[in-house]
Amino acid sequence: MNRRPSFVSGLAAAVVFAAPLAAQQPKTPAKQQAAAKSSFDRRIVPTPGKVPDLTVPFWGKVSLANGAQLVVSEKRGLPLVSFQISFIGGANQYEPEEKPGLANFVANMLSEGTTHRNGDQISNDLQLLGTEVNAFIGGESGRVSFESTRDKFAATLAVLADLLENPTFPQDALDRLRARTIVSLTVNRDRTSGIANVVFPKSVFGTAHPYGRSMNEASVKAITRDDLVAFYKNYFRPGHAVISVVGDISQAEAKRAVENALSGWKAGGSVPDFSYPAAPSPKPTTIYLVDKPGAAQSTFALGEVGPPRATPDYFALRVMNEMLGVLFQSRLNHNIREVKGYSYGVGSSFGFGKGPGAFRAGGDIVTAKTDSALIEFMKELRDIRGRRPPSDDELAQAKASLVQSLPSTFASVTGVNNNIASIYTQGLAEDYYQAFARAVNAVTREDVVRVAQKYIDPEHLTIVIVGDRSKIEAPLIATKIAPIVVLDVNGDPVKKAVTP
Amino acid sequence: MRPFLLSVLVAPCLLAQQQQARPATSISIPFEKYTLNNGLTVVLSEDHTTPTVAVEVIYHVGSKNEVLGHTGFAHMFEHVMFTGSGHVPYGTHDKFTEGVGGSNNGQTYFDWTRYWETDPSNYLETALWLEADRMGFLLDSLDDAKFRAQRDIVKNERRQSYDNQPYGRDRELIGLAMYPNGHPYSWPTIGAMSDLSAAGVEDVKRFFRLYYAPNNATLVVVGDINRARTKAWIAKYFDELPRGKAITRPNVGAASLRGEKRLTFEDRVQVPRLWIQWPTVNMFSADAPALELLGEILAGSRTARITKALVYDKPIAASVSAGQTSAENVGEFRIIVTPRPEHTLTEVETQVDSIVARLKRDGPTAEELKRVKAGQELSFLDDLQSNLGKAFQLAEDQTFRDDPSYTFRVGYAKTQAVTAADIKRVANKYLGSSRVVLSNVPLGKRDLASHADRSTIVTDPLTEKTTEIRP
Repeated sequence: MNRRPSFVSGLAAAVVFAAPLAAQQPKTPAKQQAAAKSSFDRRIVPTPGKVPDLTVPFWGKVSLANGAQLVVSEKRGLPLVSFQISFIGGANQYEPEEKPGLANFVANMLSEGTTHRNGDQISNDLQLLGTEVNAFIGGESGRVSFESTRDKFAATLAVLADLLENPTFPQDALDRLRARTIVSLTVNRDRTSGIANVVFPKSVFGTAHPYGRSMNEASVKAITRDDLVAFYKNYFRPGHAVISVVGDISQAEAKRAVENALSGWKAGGSVPDFSYPAAPSPKPTTIYLVDKPGAAQSTFALGEVGPPRATPDYFALRVMNEMLGVLFQSRLNHNIREVKGYSYGVGSSFGFGKGPGAFRAGGDIVTAKTDSALIEFMKELRDIRGRRPPSDDELAQAKASLVQSLPSTFASVTGVNNNIASIYTQGLAEDYYQAFARAVNAVTREDVVRVAQKYIDPEHLTIVIVGDRSKIEAPLIATKIAPIVVLDVNGDPVKKAVTP
Repeated sequence: MRPFLLSVLVAPCLLAQQQQARPATSISIPFEKYTLNNGLTVVLSEDHTTPTVAVEVIYHVGSKNEVLGHTGFAHMFEHVMFTGSGHVPYGTHDKFTEGVGGSNNGQTYFDWTRYWETDPSNYLETALWLEADRMGFLLDSLDDAKFRAQRDIVKNERRQSYDNQPYGRDRELIGLAMYPNGHPYSWPTIGAMSDLSAAGVEDVKRFFRLYYAPNNATLVVVGDINRARTKAWIAKYFDELPRGKAITRPNVGAASLRGEKRLTFEDRVQVPRLWIQWPTVNMFSADAPALELLGEILAGSRTARITKALVYDKPIAASVSAGQTSAENVGEFRIIVTPRPEHTLTEVETQVDSIVARLKRDGPTAEELKRVKAGQELSFLDDLQSNLGKAFQLAEDQTFRDDPSYTFRVGYAKTQAVTAADIKRVANKYLGSSRVVLSNVPLGKRDLASHADRSTIVTDPLTEKTTEIRP
């Protein structure tokens, strides 16, 4: 979603973002109050110049002896290098069902000690190199990466290789991470949005599907050192890895440095199977209410099982979603924030992924307008399905926002690297960026309506609302939109459904 | 929008021709600066890496220009700036930024308010047209309904970012305690709910006429530009906007905290948190760079003093942070600690005090100092990859230093020149007994406060007491 505040501490926390708004279209410009006079007609919108060409960086790809792919893209100008090892497959493919959070723990624990360095030494070495090595394992891909100045590249890569090849997973570090994580999970349950982020996927997919599971106290408490070691041995292997290097470095230099640093990384591993259990069949629209006494706002998360990234409807869905809930003037934000003033910002998204990632709309709504906002969400989800077809202007803005924002993602070495790596982790064609504009521009108004009808089903929505039940339950019942099931903060039922 | 650094405050950078022992990368931001007849300062900087541009207008006005009873107004005004202006109907601003592949936003701080567009470079003239129109003709399209709608949204922003967040009110409670009543830095930029409700259209007009004049602003354009053509457009759209009256800056006194203030706030949280804050120095002080590095030495990394001791070696805390923030007139140094469940805020405070006392006695080691300086080169180079990041830096440095290149020419060298003796000295000078200690505890658990017997219970003065919503 756009125009959210950023969080920084201290004085900086006092920074507040604005963002447009206004309840009404202004009248014809009134000139009588003008403090300034204009010597020309300022109502004339400047004519834009020629649309700049998209320049997609070139990259070369080779296979290394251990089976990993190496991709290198030169980007000169600043003495910077971005390095990533991306792994195809993630927590959903490698984590035992009963231990969500294990992949996250393994990623965190790489920097807790190796056979050559303890955790403090790793930290100190990287501080002196002016950088840090980041490890992250998501649902369907993982990454170990850094950005460095050119002169620190080889030394930083050597530290990364040590973390990748020789981690020791000390028991005391596991216990410490576990304790810290439990505190974070507890604090997260003090946020209505934190609760919704757990309850919504669980309500849509159930816990039999990896998309429905989240790290929790029980799973975190169950993680053993043996689990970490087993996951590590299975996961961090070159057979499903793509190494990508972007920046002030030549292909030959990069290849030499990588082969040198990762000479000990032995062959093995392969791209995993991405099959998932079937998602639950759609259920009639239901409101799942989670009580958060005293909440000033209610967090909304409403949606359903969506299509995978590989759907042929991908570009039509992107265009449709821009006008529904991505752009500031998208239908959801324009109506619920700008016109009604119920929120600081609302929006919508598709999860995509190798499996059927969820469609999700939502935002934080002032408690007293929880019922009114739900009515507006339902209205917009129905309207986009054809009751109010996209205007020419909506269609044009949605497409241009996608196509013309692409060049800016190639500005930084890390931006270029992320773009290249995602080609391989998502299994896209190598000319994806060159073909992107054509695919987006081919989307028609009919396509938009068709995919809205196909993927947004107002009769089968999961509506999670986290807020002050004493204030919002009765008004929600009165809307007669759907029956209410009350859930606890973990997404488990606490009482039977009440039929309106 | 991804979180971003307030780079002038926390990430001093590399300069062009510094004489440093370490190899200096000869990188700078090339720029051209000039002033229009109406007082508008213009800074242009070319970067043709991608076919994009960033346009920023920064006004030297922020929440510190407000007075009691009208808090939050500068920020609410910022929202009004997006509702259309004399020749730009509502919605047009988004259409020619987001709707052509760009973005726009605004941001309000104690000292400044800034607005920006990013666009494909063929829409540069459009972005200049948009900014000029609201600088010159905002009031032509203002009406009460538009203003009231903005007010509701700002109240929701307050709820979402402060009132409905665990620990979301800590900073404002500390600000009220640290500064004298009515001090311009004592209230938060978002303002009090009751003040937001009281503001009206006449306030908007007065504020606009006072502060939103070309002579109180700097326009920065960075990216894929042709400078001659850009100057011609700037002349066309901005030259004829009238100069405003000279601006009177608020007279800002010191925090004048005498001794320690201990506060307990009961919040809707399960985990208590301790926040210790000292009044320090503003951005112009020679001590600011040393205080910024002191924050890194205490909690900037795994091996920073407090982090290592409290989170790793004898783990009584789940997380810690520390740092100096230097604003135009004041500065603050804070340490924030979230304990583990089996440990108390009192225990945490005792440990923090002992670590700070040791640092004040011995100063940092040469190795520690080297580590905390080492990351600055990369941080600066990384920021140079963003048109908008560069625009922020140039605009702030122009506004507060009258030198767009200050940070990369001077600021970086000043930070690199900080010695261990400097750090020891500023720790002793500023981290003394005059401070605010806030214990944020779960509702009904005031006994969990650090030294609860000496801590005063504070209520929550700025949040809404009753729900006020437009019908």
